[in-house]
Amino acid sequence: MISDLRELWRFRELLLTLVERDLRIRYKGSMFGFFWSLLNPLMTVVVMTVIFKFVMRNDTPNFSAYILSAYLPYLFFQMAVLDSAQSVLVALPIIKKVYFPREVLPLAAICSNFIHFLLALGVFFLFLFAVYLADPRVSPFSWNMLLLPIPLALNLALAAGLGLLVSALNTFYEDIKYVVAVGLQLLFFVTPIMYFSEQVFAASQAHSGSSWLYWLYHLNPVATLCMMYRKVLVAPQDVIVSPDRLPWLPIDWGLVGITAVVSVFTLWYGYRTFNRMKWRFVERP
Amino acid sequence: MIEIRDLHKEFRLSHSGAASMKTALLWWRRRSIEHLKVLNGVTLTIPAGQCVALVGRNGAGKSTLLSILSRIYKPTSGTVEVQGRIAPLLELGAGFHPDLTGLENIEFNGVILGLTRAEVRERIQEIVAFSELEHHIDSPVRTYSSGMQARLGFAIATHVDAEILIVDEVLAVGDFAFEQKCYARIEEFRRGGGTILFVSHQLDSVAKIADRCVWLQNGQIAMDGDPAEVISAYHSSA
Repeated sequence: MISDLRELWRFRELLLTLVERDLRIRYKGSMFGFFWSLLNPLMTVVVMTVIFKFVMRNDTPNFSAYILSAYLPYLFFQMAVLDSAQSVLVALPIIKKVYFPREVLPLAAICSNFIHFLLALGVFFLFLFAVYLADPRVSPFSWNMLLLPIPLALNLALAAGLGLLVSALNTFYEDIKYVVAVGLQLLFFVTPIMYFSEQVFAASQAHSGSSWLYWLYHLNPVATLCMMYRKVLVAPQDVIVSPDRLPWLPIDWGLVGITAVVSVFTLWYGYRTFNRMKWRFVERP
Repeated sequence: MIEIRDLHKEFRLSHSGAASMKTALLWWRRRSIEHLKVLNGVTLTIPAGQCVALVGRNGAGKSTLLSILSRIYKPTSGTVEVQGRIAPLLELGAGFHPDLTGLENIEFNGVILGLTRAEVRERIQEIVAFSELEHHIDSPVRTYSSGMQARLGFAIATHVDAEILIVDEVLAVGDFAFEQKCYARIEEFRRGGGTILFVSHQLDSVAKIADRCVWLQNGQIAMDGDPAEVISAYHSSA
């Protein structure tokens, strides 16, 4: 694995070139292209906010910021894994003719999606600032924001590990990507995006008087990451779903610890599997 | 310098169609995997600065041998030791991205072949000038004719300062003038101490530029030596 990493480092310029190309194609060389790509999250959040405020009676103030703070990371995770799943298969004609470390392909898909995610977070902060200007009595900013690198790093590791694993498997079993797409779709519902993990906690208490269901739910690393993003990116706020008022829970560092272990393990396992399979990509049936 | 010791390569051919979970499930009782031995113990040492031609019939293992040297395949057994950087030119338009322009492909390929982007930018003028594609360099490569792709590929591979050039019958598609230019460039490359390994079916060009000729037959070296002798033996066998 060390020699593979050294080889990857030798080809860092290639990774940069590929990432740059991906972003250039995505934004088509214009700022307009960037905002175009934000259309999906923004429209989704508008629709969700309307539905949840007026139909599901969720009266938590500044609700769209809470949705966005979890939906953007989820979207990054989904796109990074789906894009990397295809990356090796699409480049097969090229890798049959020239050598370069094959892991550059999924890693480029992950890096360009990550950069896109960071830019989208920049827009998110502009949005928070606009909210603040509209209502200067409550600041949506908090010191917790300084913790942002932690969920970012874990999210990147998890996405890279899964992306490497899926891209290697998809090269031999072309239909893996459909299974993964369904899995990611379902992941959306078991991740606190349209609801709050405080609600999961309350439901767990109501069900069995203990929080074991809440813990089980948060063994899903993406759920824990989205929960953490939400607590890091937006100021604490009680969840109000009429007629209940659920107190804001602090960051659960035990859960974050488990997620960290899972993410790092996924990265290691994904990279190892990819390296074991990469020499057979060109010989696929 | 290239040192190949007792090289074997075996491919597994599957007859059950596309690679997918569906086929794996549907065909798992009837899987038929054929083993195809392409290289059966090739041992070859090429000292630095030599120009070696590979000849042999289709399916003799020439392209597989070049691919293993270019690190596309891992050998089944045996070792390959290469000193110096390799610029492979396997098949026409290989490694080009059809939707990128000629210029973008120069950058992409240069980086794949081990240059930094700054180094590619320094050479870009020279590469474009050599390929004589000034008027098409901003068009996507999918619009190029096969001759144009060969020009661009050859121009890139010979301008990345590699020590070893590997060419798999790419030069046959260029027009006469460009072919002459390529041979001149190869000559220049050799005078600079470069090693060349190439496959060709044009036996007269083999006799003209190679120092040494290796005849591959059924994955083994049938004859190795002076180009004129090997070619006449190869000729009389056919």
